[in-house]
Amino acid sequence: MASMWQEFSKGLWKEIPPFRVVLGLCPTLAVTKSAENGLGMGVAVIFVLVLSNVLISAVRGIIPKKVRIVCFIAISATLVVAVELLMQAFTYPLYQQLGIFVPLIVVNCIILGRAEAFAAKNPVHLALADGLGMGMGFTIALTLIGSIRELLGTGGIFGHNVMWNGFEPFGIMVEAPGAFLALGTVVALMNFYTAWAARRAGLEVPENASCQGGCSGCATGQR
Amino acid sequence: MPQTDITSLKPLFVVETPPYIHNGVTIHGMMRDTLLALAPAMILALMAHGVAAFRVMALAAGVSVLVEAMCVRIAGQKLRIEDGTALISGLLLAFMLPVQAPWWLVTVGAALSMILGKHVFGGLGANPLCTPLVGWACLSISWPKYMNPSAMVLNTDFLDPLLRLKFFGTQSISPETYKALLMGEQLGGLGSVYIGALLLGGIFLVARRAVRWEIPVAYLLTVYALGFLLWHIDPARYIAPELYLLTGSTVFAAFFLATDHPSSPFSIWGIALFGVLAGAMTVLIRAYGTHLDGAPFAILLANLFTPLLDMIRPVPWGGRK
Repeated sequence: MASMWQEFSKGLWKEIPPFRVVLGLCPTLAVTKSAENGLGMGVAVIFVLVLSNVLISAVRGIIPKKVRIVCFIAISATLVVAVELLMQAFTYPLYQQLGIFVPLIVVNCIILGRAEAFAAKNPVHLALADGLGMGMGFTIALTLIGSIRELLGTGGIFGHNVMWNGFEPFGIMVEAPGAFLALGTVVALMNFYTAWAARRAGLEVPENASCQGGCSGCATGQR
Repeated sequence: MPQTDITSLKPLFVVETPPYIHNGVTIHGMMRDTLLALAPAMILALMAHGVAAFRVMALAAGVSVLVEAMCVRIAGQKLRIEDGTALISGLLLAFMLPVQAPWWLVTVGAALSMILGKHVFGGLGANPLCTPLVGWACLSISWPKYMNPSAMVLNTDFLDPLLRLKFFGTQSISPETYKALLMGEQLGGLGSVYIGALLLGGIFLVARRAVRWEIPVAYLLTVYALGFLLWHIDPARYIAPELYLLTGSTVFAAFFLATDHPSSPFSIWGIALFGVLAGAMTVLIRAYGTHLDGAPFAILLANLFTPLLDMIRPVPWGGRK
C-alpha cells in the first residue's frame, strides 16, 4: 500500500508532467485557452493513461520486446477511440472545443512514456497508481495553465468573470504565445521554490532544480 | 649543473586574458549617442504634444529602469543602470506608442520589454530580439484598439497615412504633402512620425559609429527597391516607393531598432541578408498583410534569423577557407 501511495503521489509534485517531466507539451500548449478545456483534456488523459497502464502492465509478460511500441500504440489508440466516442456522446461542446487534440492523445508522450518506463516493468496495482497519479498531475497542470491564461486573457475563470470592472483583457495570453509564457512562468516559479526549499533545508541546491536525475523520465531516454 | 628552483623564475611577460586592446567604445557612450540622436524627434514631440508626450516617455523610461533594477537584483547580477540601456529601451518603446496611450498600457509594455525581451534571456547583450519591439508586439496583439493612433488621438488635424494608404487607395496621399510628412505632420507613434528628425539622428549615429551603417543602408535600400518594383508593376494598386519611407516607423526602425547590437548579425554578408529580409518583409506586410505598419514585425522576424545569419563567419586572418 505504501509503495502504491508513493507511485501515486510522485505524479502530483515530484514528477508532475508537463512541469517536471516535460512531456505532453502538445495538448499543454494547444488546448489550455480556458480552464474548462484544460480540465476536460486532463480527464480524457486520466482515462486513457490509467487504462493503458493497467492493460500494458497486465500483458507485459506476453509482449515481445521488439514490437512493444506497436503494442503500446495499439492499446492506447483503442482507448483513445473509446474516449472520443464517449465525448461525442456526452460532452459534445467540449469535444468540439478540443477538436483534433482528442485523437492526438494517442501520440501523447506521457502515455507512451509511462507505458515504456513504468507499466512495462511493474505489476498491475503499481501501474494503476502511477497512471492515476500522473493523470491527476497532468489534469492539475492543464487546469492551472488554463486558469492563468483565461484569467489574464478574458478576465474570468471557468467562464465566470472575476476581474474588476474596466479590466482590459490581456489578449496575448489566449493566443499561442500566452501558452509558452504561462508554462515558462510556472516552471520557473517551481524551480525557484525548489531551490529555495532546498537552501532552507540546508541541502545543496541542485544545478537543475527541476531534475534530480534518476527519475523514470531518464530511464526512457537511456534505453 | 646547478639546480634551479622553478618557482623563483620570474617570467619576462605575463599573458593576461583577452581583450588586450580597448577601442574606447563603451555601452555608456553608445547610449549617450543614441540619446542625442533621439533628441531632435523628442523635442519635436514635446513641442507638438507637450505634457502628454512627456508623460508617456517618462513613464516608459522610468518603468524600464525600475524593472531592470528588479530583474538584475533577482538574477543576482551586477547593477548597471547607469549604462542607460534600460532608459533607451523605454524611450524607444515610447516612440512607437500613441501619445494618448493610457498609463497601464505604457507600464505593461515597458515591463514586458524588459522582462520578456531582455532579462529572461540573461540580461544585457543576451537578448535575441530587439528589446522594445517585444513589448510593442505584446501590446499591439493584446490591445490593438489602444495602440491604434487614429482611435486614441482625437484632438488633431492630422491623418493616419498608413490607414489612408491601405484603405482609401494609393492616390490618397499626394506628392505635395511629402514635405509635411517628413516634418512629422502625420498621425502615428509618438516619436516615430518625425521622419526628418529621426533621419538626422540616424545619420549622427552612423557618423559616430554607434551603429553599423550597413544595417540601415541594406534595409532602406531593399524597402525602396522592392517598393519601386511593385509600384512599377501596377501604380494604381501599390503605393509609391517613397511612401514606404515617409510613413509608418520604417526610418525609425532602420536606424534605432534594426541596429540593436545583440539582435543583429555581425558579418557583412549576414548584415546584408538581414537588411534584405527585414526590408522585404516590411514591404510585403504593408502591401499584402493585415497590419498597417510593417517595420516592427519585419524587424522581429529578421531578428529570429540572426543566429542563422551569424553562422556566416569571417575567415580569421591567416586561416583557411
